[in-house]
Amino acid sequence: MTREQRLKKRYASEKRFRFLGIGAIAISIFFVCLLLFKVFSTGSTAFIKTTIMTEVDFNKELLELGDVKNPTLKQIKEAEFFDVTYKAATGLFPYKNDEEEKGVKTLLSGNYETEIKNYLLNNPELLGQKVTIELTASDDLDQLHKGNFPRDIPEDRRRLNNFQLNVYDNLVEQGKIGTAFGNYFFFSGDSRDPEIAGVAGAVIGSFFSIIICLMIAFPIALMAAVYLEEFAPKNTFTDIIEININNLAAVPSIVFGLLGLGMLLSVFGLPRSTSLVGGITLSLMTLPTIIIACRASLKAVPPSIREGALAVGASRVQTVMHHVVPLAMPGTLSGTIIGLAQALGETAPLLLIGMVAFVVDVPSVPTDPSTSLPVQIYLWSESAERGFVEKTSATIMLLIGFLIIMNSLAVWARQKFERKW
Amino acid sequence: MNEHIVKSYDEQLSILKNTIAKMGSLAERQIKDATEAALKQDQGFADAIVGKDDRIDDLEKSIEQQVVNLLTMRQPLAIDLRETVSAMKISSDLERIGDLSKNIAKRSRHLDQNIVDDINKNFSAASVKVQKNVKFVLDAFLNRDAKLAEQVWYADEEIDTLVDICMNSILKCIEKSSDGSGAAACSQMMFMSKNLERIGDHATNIAETVYFLVTGDYLEGDRPKGESDIVSGQ
Amino acid sequence: MSNKIVAKKVSVFYGPKQALFDVDLNVAEKQVTALIGPSGCGKSTFIRCLNRMNDVIDICKVSGNIEIDGKDIYDKSVDVVQLREKVGMVFQKPNPFPKSIYENISYGPTIHGIAKDKTHMDEIVETSLKKAALWDEVKDRLDQPGTGLSGGQQQRLCIARAISINPEVILMDEPCSALDPIATAKIETLIDDLKSSYTIAIVTHSMAQAARVSQHTGFFHLGKLIEFDFTDKIFKNPENQMTQDYITGRFG
Repeated sequence: MTREQRLKKRYASEKRFRFLGIGAIAISIFFVCLLLFKVFSTGSTAFIKTTIMTEVDFNKELLELGDVKNPTLKQIKEAEFFDVTYKAATGLFPYKNDEEEKGVKTLLSGNYETEIKNYLLNNPELLGQKVTIELTASDDLDQLHKGNFPRDIPEDRRRLNNFQLNVYDNLVEQGKIGTAFGNYFFFSGDSRDPEIAGVAGAVIGSFFSIIICLMIAFPIALMAAVYLEEFAPKNTFTDIIEININNLAAVPSIVFGLLGLGMLLSVFGLPRSTSLVGGITLSLMTLPTIIIACRASLKAVPPSIREGALAVGASRVQTVMHHVVPLAMPGTLSGTIIGLAQALGETAPLLLIGMVAFVVDVPSVPTDPSTSLPVQIYLWSESAERGFVEKTSATIMLLIGFLIIMNSLAVWARQKFERKW
Repeated sequence: MNEHIVKSYDEQLSILKNTIAKMGSLAERQIKDATEAALKQDQGFADAIVGKDDRIDDLEKSIEQQVVNLLTMRQPLAIDLRETVSAMKISSDLERIGDLSKNIAKRSRHLDQNIVDDINKNFSAASVKVQKNVKFVLDAFLNRDAKLAEQVWYADEEIDTLVDICMNSILKCIEKSSDGSGAAACSQMMFMSKNLERIGDHATNIAETVYFLVTGDYLEGDRPKGESDIVSGQ
Repeated sequence: MSNKIVAKKVSVFYGPKQALFDVDLNVAEKQVTALIGPSGCGKSTFIRCLNRMNDVIDICKVSGNIEIDGKDIYDKSVDVVQLREKVGMVFQKPNPFPKSIYENISYGPTIHGIAKDKTHMDEIVETSLKKAALWDEVKDRLDQPGTGLSGGQQQRLCIARAISINPEVILMDEPCSALDPIATAKIETLIDDLKSSYTIAIVTHSMAQAARVSQHTGFFHLGKLIEFDFTDKIFKNPENQMTQDYITGRFG
């Protein structure tokens, strides 16, 4: 083979290699884009809801407040709203029989009575007046309006019957159908009705879990790592500990769920389905990961720094606390954040400790029953209603958003506190 | 002696040693030839000897350059340092020996025919001893022989004695010649034998240098001197 | 001339491997003692015995006797922190803390409680930097990181850090090996100046440096002290053939 041939061959192989590399990256980017596209296209509509402009008559008589001169808020709150709400709902469209009446009523969300009541409570001066307010539409109307329900299939296979479709078309003509910010998705807990189901409970639950996880895992992991790296003698015992830590990092997360179930719930009798137990279980799971990250960043501190401190007469504890740990902080922090991000996305162990329960109320303390974001995704993805499909995707978007924020925080922390030496 | 890790260092040192050996053998030859020219009073031969001195001067310059190169390039230490520094010192001693031999040759041009045999005989004896010392001291240098160097050092006394005898015979000759016609030649002879004594001193210097080179110590004790006040000037 | 440090029959083991064999060596007070020898000969190991820096290594065992001012430093009653307050050390690679120049110097005095107040600390920082011939170069930027200085300045900062706690002995482990000739010359000048107030032991790979800065030189080979004598003698006419071979570049 001549020089030229060899040269040509080398160039060709380099080109091939580069092409393969670019190809690998392109495939990964393609799949990420596909996932994001799928999630976004399905989920983005969950952030808005369909509304119906409804006429409401806050008649004093109907509210049974006729003989009260200036009713207080408390009196309004305790007033009888049934007639008002019934009139408002049925007044949307003229109906002939009971069946049609029900058809008209169910175009509004199951929560319309509360919405009407709250509207008056927020604007008590409207008492005795007739007003038009925006009420949340039912899940079925919402999906129809967003174009997710095909209209040209037989009536018995549709969620909305012909009469309801007629009403919908009529309302659209009158300009009474509108859209609004999907406040239920962000600010309320779970519900059986997709149009009023939200992730607030899951977000707060996840938040409590992560905070508890951080408070338990970080100090324990840091102390364990510092001891193992800086003080522990190198012997068989510490070798066994090291192997076990590495091993635990690879143990499937569901095993930690079983541990949580067996220890925390059964032995210690902590309350089921709470973010307290969830946080403790997740901290057990992330502990090995954070220990490994902390040890790696402690190892990365050059020995010359330790020698320098020891040589001016610092004790070993002073050397570690004044120099080594501060220098290892960026790596430690980013390792911890990545560990927490892993915990944030974890479902399996939470299922076992009961965080999969149907919880309507948004938790206010870590000992309240709650779910978490990934569990919420799991729950909704199991539900039959079409409205939950977009909610599932929207929750995935939210979770991905949180993960991106946390991982960027890890990168930022690393760069911000990184010191050159 | 082990070899240096750097091969060219060894080469430089051996070239230096060879240059000194060459210079030494030239100087040795010059003494022998100058003595011969003086005894035979051969003008032509004397001129040739004077001419050859340039060769010795050139070699001295070459050694000086080699030493400077070694110092800058290798920063020699211990034995290498002593070798380098000794080479410099020995070469300047050899250069002086060459000069003194040249001087003997030059002066031999002014000698008359009527030098008495007695002087010639004594001069020749002193010269042979000087040549022997120079030869031995060069051998001591080449073979790193401290003992031989020490012997040369002590043997300088014999040279002084022989030069002393030669001087005495010259003095006698001056006293004998009533008209002073031989005085000019005799005074030349006087300087020539003094030169032999000086060459002996340089050989002694070289012996000291060789002794330092080999042992790293200095030759202790008083340097042997001739008893005669004529030679020592005391 | 008295001996500040007297080492007798010092042997060091790293696990089963013996790194030093019965070294007897004295370090003269207020003079510079240089230790030379090929890599891995034990000279650094020896110097690290003098401030018990080897204690950090679990498997390292030191036997024999090392006395500073007549007191055995491996005695059970000796506190290693107090020993290192007395015996400072400067390392091969400049290793300033990734903190400000001021904090680099003030760290030692702070942990030993040497400074009475802020003004006293300022004084200590200034005199340490002046002694290390660095004051004029850094006096306007004491709050800047010590790691931002040039290599030579960093090493002088480390020397200043070592003298900030006013030690009696300064150990230097190849302090110039990472520096250029100019920076090296400055450190050597500094060593010359420091020798009037401190006892210095220096490990070096540069024969010329040992010859320039030290009064005594020890040659180590394979964990043994082969020859120890006046520097002058070692470099002009060593007794031992091995020393001779090493310093003339004949080691094979």
